[in-house]
Amino acid sequence: MSGRDKLLDWARTRPGESVQEAQERRLAKAWETPTGWRYWSAVNNTEVGLWYTVCAFLFFLFAGVLALIMRAQLAVPDNDLVTADQYNQLFTLHGSAMMFLFGVPSFEAFSILVLPQMLGARDLPFPRLSAFGFWCFLIGGVFVCGSIYFDAAPKGGWFMYPPLATEYQDGYGNDIWLLGLSFIEIASIAAAVELIVGALKTRPPGMRINLMPLYAWYVLVVAGMILFAFPPLIAGDLLFEMQRAFDWPFFDPDRGGDPLLWQHLFWIFGHPEVYIIFLPAIALVATMIPAFAQRPLVGYSWVVLAAVGTGFISFGLWVHHMYTTGLPNVSLGFFSAASVSVAIPTGVQLFCFIATMLVGRATGNVPMLWVSGAFAVFVLGGLTGVMVALAPFDFQAHDTYFVVAHLHYVLVGGVVFPILGAIHYFYPLVGGRSLSPRLGKIAFWLAFVGFNLAFWPMHISGLRGMPRRVFTYEPGMGLELLNLVSTIGAFTLATGLAVFLWDVIRPKGRQPVSARNPWNAGSLEWATKIPPPPWGARTIPAVSSRYPLWQQENFVADYDAGRFYLPDAEEVKRETIITTVIDARPIQCLRVPGPAWLTMIAAGFAGGFFILGTFELYALAITCGALATATILAWLWTGTAVEPEKEEKDIGLGVTVPLYASGPASVGWWAMFITMIGDMAAFAGIVFGYYFFWTVHPEFPPPGSRGPGWEWPTIALAILVLAWAVTMGAQKAIRGGRERLGIALLAACLVLGPVGVAALAAGPWLTGMDPTAHAYPATVWVLVLWTGIHLAIGFVAHAYCLARALAGRLTARRDIDIRNTTLYWHFMFATVLVTVATIGGFPLVS
Amino acid sequence: MAAPPDDTLAALLGESSVLAPAGRSAAAIAELSWWLFGGATLIWLVVIGLSIYAAYFGPRAHDEAKVRLLVVGGGAVIPTLVLAGVLAWGLWLMPQVKPPLPQGAVEIEVEGLQWWWRARYRAETGETAVPVANELALPVGRPAVLRLTSPDVIHSFWVPALAGKMDMIPGRETVIVLEPTRTGVFRGACAEYCGASHALMSFAVLVMEPAAWEAWLARQAAPAEPPASAAAQRGMAVFTEYGCGACHAIRGTEADGDVGPDLTHVGSRRTLAAGALPNTPDDYVRWISDVHEVKPDANMPPFGMLPEGDLAALALYLDGLT
Amino acid sequence: MEDRMEDRSDAARREEIPDELQARRETIFMIPAAPAIWAAHFLASYITAAIWCAKVAGRTGALDGARWLVAGYTGVALLAIAIVGIWGFRHHSYGDATVPHDFDTPADRHRFLGFSTLLLAALSFVAVLFVGMVVVFTETCR
Repeated sequence: MSGRDKLLDWARTRPGESVQEAQERRLAKAWETPTGWRYWSAVNNTEVGLWYTVCAFLFFLFAGVLALIMRAQLAVPDNDLVTADQYNQLFTLHGSAMMFLFGVPSFEAFSILVLPQMLGARDLPFPRLSAFGFWCFLIGGVFVCGSIYFDAAPKGGWFMYPPLATEYQDGYGNDIWLLGLSFIEIASIAAAVELIVGALKTRPPGMRINLMPLYAWYVLVVAGMILFAFPPLIAGDLLFEMQRAFDWPFFDPDRGGDPLLWQHLFWIFGHPEVYIIFLPAIALVATMIPAFAQRPLVGYSWVVLAAVGTGFISFGLWVHHMYTTGLPNVSLGFFSAASVSVAIPTGVQLFCFIATMLVGRATGNVPMLWVSGAFAVFVLGGLTGVMVALAPFDFQAHDTYFVVAHLHYVLVGGVVFPILGAIHYFYPLVGGRSLSPRLGKIAFWLAFVGFNLAFWPMHISGLRGMPRRVFTYEPGMGLELLNLVSTIGAFTLATGLAVFLWDVIRPKGRQPVSARNPWNAGSLEWATKIPPPPWGARTIPAVSSRYPLWQQENFVADYDAGRFYLPDAEEVKRETIITTVIDARPIQCLRVPGPAWLTMIAAGFAGGFFILGTFELYALAITCGALATATILAWLWTGTAVEPEKEEKDIGLGVTVPLYASGPASVGWWAMFITMIGDMAAFAGIVFGYYFFWTVHPEFPPPGSRGPGWEWPTIALAILVLAWAVTMGAQKAIRGGRERLGIALLAACLVLGPVGVAALAAGPWLTGMDPTAHAYPATVWVLVLWTGIHLAIGFVAHAYCLARALAGRLTARRDIDIRNTTLYWHFMFATVLVTVATIGGFPLVS
Repeated sequence: MAAPPDDTLAALLGESSVLAPAGRSAAAIAELSWWLFGGATLIWLVVIGLSIYAAYFGPRAHDEAKVRLLVVGGGAVIPTLVLAGVLAWGLWLMPQVKPPLPQGAVEIEVEGLQWWWRARYRAETGETAVPVANELALPVGRPAVLRLTSPDVIHSFWVPALAGKMDMIPGRETVIVLEPTRTGVFRGACAEYCGASHALMSFAVLVMEPAAWEAWLARQAAPAEPPASAAAQRGMAVFTEYGCGACHAIRGTEADGDVGPDLTHVGSRRTLAAGALPNTPDDYVRWISDVHEVKPDANMPPFGMLPEGDLAALALYLDGLT
Repeated sequence: MEDRMEDRSDAARREEIPDELQARRETIFMIPAAPAIWAAHFLASYITAAIWCAKVAGRTGALDGARWLVAGYTGVALLAIAIVGIWGFRHHSYGDATVPHDFDTPADRHRFLGFSTLLLAALSFVAVLFVGMVVVFTETCR
């Protein structure tokens, strides 16, 4: 039998089989998880989300062990358990791994795992993108962490301040940090795009925006923050690596650079990062509290307010990491004001949770214990946070152990404890069996007591004058006892985590499968049977309340009987429903792709590009980059915009929706739009560099230096605007059915783009601007470079569309490729305009 | 904690508590701190008490309308008012803790380097500046303006008992104003991670009565006295022979290096190697022969190949440079 | 569990929905409007002060002009946020239902969007005031 015949055979209802049995059999076939070694080609959110979560947790344990070594070193004064150099590697890697390999990824991992369940969707809209992100994360994470076994780990601190990290530390460590983590940041952004589209477009029919689970609100806010916070760091990484590898002096004061530029770019990322890590944990609390109290959360809108408000205000805090850099008092004041205001939404959330407990009937259980412990710890961290938000207090506390205590109270109380509670809470949903309440309590109390023993004394150590990041301290300063207690506490905390870990991994074969909905929760993810079947939702529900399991009659019975949408997979294909953003009206039945190796291969080549680049093997790196691009193109060609066998599909309950969509109705268009917003944020980071230099230098461009002139940039602008216009013309032609005209116009774009790039580069090239001479030419060149790389991607997009059109796959009715390309070029127009205005126009007016 | 014996490194470097201030700026911050600690304790007790009550002891079903008032009042209104007050206090304090540059202040240029401190007292009568290293002295009751720079990486100048910290950033000049209010010895340290031996970059600030301070400064300005004993004279010869003068200056001799600390009065300092060792002849021997054991990655090469006798003589000479 | 179901057989669920609300395309963009005004105000204040101290007054100069500019921005931002807040309040008080706005009706969605907008406007208002407070207390570029 051919593959098609086999599928047709599966699609037929068999004799003696009830309708429901046949539906479930077809769903199971469509969503079947590959077995054997092919298991690793899975892309479904339940597999990828689980791998992702497990890996993030392993990196957490790894970073925790590094911390234990540090605590052992500091247990007594003048200790020599590790050398200064090793210690510096330890704390750098501890911070970097906790932030980049645990904090952010654990949110994304967990959201990939449970968001579709919470939305009653079968999968996220781009499963292969999730898988690609996961493999990138794994490769990058192992690369960065593995370096310590070769005594080659980064040692510039997780903040990597130049000039120490650029010019005073040799070896590959800091390059590993830069390139390895840039690679992971790209994966993080990919996951953020996926989650935003998921929360906005894959909600079940009827789940209007006022009914969306709070977790999804937080996902939206946090993913949005990632989109604006990570790109400036990627821009900073680019500048940093250009300095380390090619001596472009962005941070070298002798040649017009400024170390503070890095601090700005880093903390524009670094402070929102804290909230990017913290808000998802609060989202978990907001998800669990109603189940503890057995009633809906009090103050839904207030929590939405808090999430959105925190998201915004957290971008106005970055300079509070730079209070002691000598900036004017007035600037410190502004950031102090914002740092203080961000406490308001945090307080609101906390009181909404307390209020819910007050009106409900509390059910004491282990997850609630973790949440209660989290409150006690986090509130103290928040209060010390208000202290360090005040510049005068921070002048003393900054870079001391007081801040170490503060940040661990915030991040362990605000993040780790809620996550551990959530693992206990959600474990049955993923693993099918419950964790042990007894072990859970032991783990909690060990961790809680250990944590406070470890970190509370650090407040005092800091006030007694112990700076951060010291590999040793001398006796007699009143620090011995405090540090010894901290070390004992750290090992107690580690024991608690070990008990927790044992509870998670211990064999549970003889233990009965957990009851369905064991916490009697009201939210959608608990509708599923346990252990959960691979298809996710048995049927995509019609939702009319915030807690369907509590508030909609017969919900579970209807759900089990498949009485909602898409109860079947008639064509044995993976399908989920796309709905509108505000009112969640169904508008498309989306076919999502199944298992594939391409994503893993693409991630492997992309990893090769970054890893080989780290070791200056540029030829091999570029080869890997080209192969990664080719793999991704193959993936796009075979896996996206697939021609459906029919135009529309009846998804049940009398609703028929199209199978193909393009433009704003399609998820692909949204993904492109959101990605490009993030891209603009990175571009803004680089442009910020240019104007930053103008602000800090008495004269910029420096007197006597030659700029690129205005002529060539203007010519480039004209050509590239033409390319943009022709792209729009090609879209119009193709959508109007004049495909041959469209092909001709696309071909013209293939010429215009490169000519435009050449004209853009001609300015600085012909005037002989040397990027290693001074920060001014370096900044001009990096803008040209950035724009050039983006136009090269635009070129690939044009070529792809041309090939699709020639292959007959890009037509008036199947136009998603050209529409996304045009959207990309709208952003290219903005990029080119700003670049030209900055490098060609600004020297004339300044 | 019991007071440490007087000759330990910690005692030599002096007091270092934020909450036992000896300067105007630090005193203002310490007062703010105590209020913040008290307020935070109170808020913590109320909020955590409330949440434990709600989670574990709350009778069933409080009236939702009343609880909503709690969210509005306890979650939004009261925090907003408290935060507004705290912010206003912080802003109002700023001109005290980071004041405008005062007139008639002691003027000092301080450089942070990997991993030591170079300072120059700006002369008040047009004479040349007085160079010192790894130890500062200030007159009590008179403000001092310190202009901070760094030729290599970012450091941060911090004397907890006197004031908050201020970074030293290559390519920039930052300023900190210290105004000591009582005499004593106060520990300073580098607070910004600056490489391998960041932990070994301390200094002492001696706050003295004005007359004693004048005497101290005059002493530091004077050239080194020639060595008296024969052993010390041999040490001086060793110093010259091994080219120590290429990096170190000893005013009054040929040695005029500018790379490492000025050693003209090194014997008068409370500690060696920026707070890494006490200051006895044995410590000189240890430092010179085994620099990197004491301070990893320090720029000075070790001179372990020196014959033992030379080393002892050199130590004696340097220790005598008071 | 039954009582929860009963709770929801509220009048709001069956309220008459005017056609204009059914048909209207609602926007989600009023929710971030007020914090976006806060962000614009914050950036404008920061950049103004930074450029003033770097290029106009010098690092020890007086802040005069920049203080008035920031005060002006603060006035404009507060006014704009108030307008957004009033817009939100009108939506929130549409019809006669009260919070929690959790029914599957266009009217409740309409009220929810309004209420969230109102709350964010209140937060942004306070946050802008906090930023404005800075120039009351700060007189120089030091």
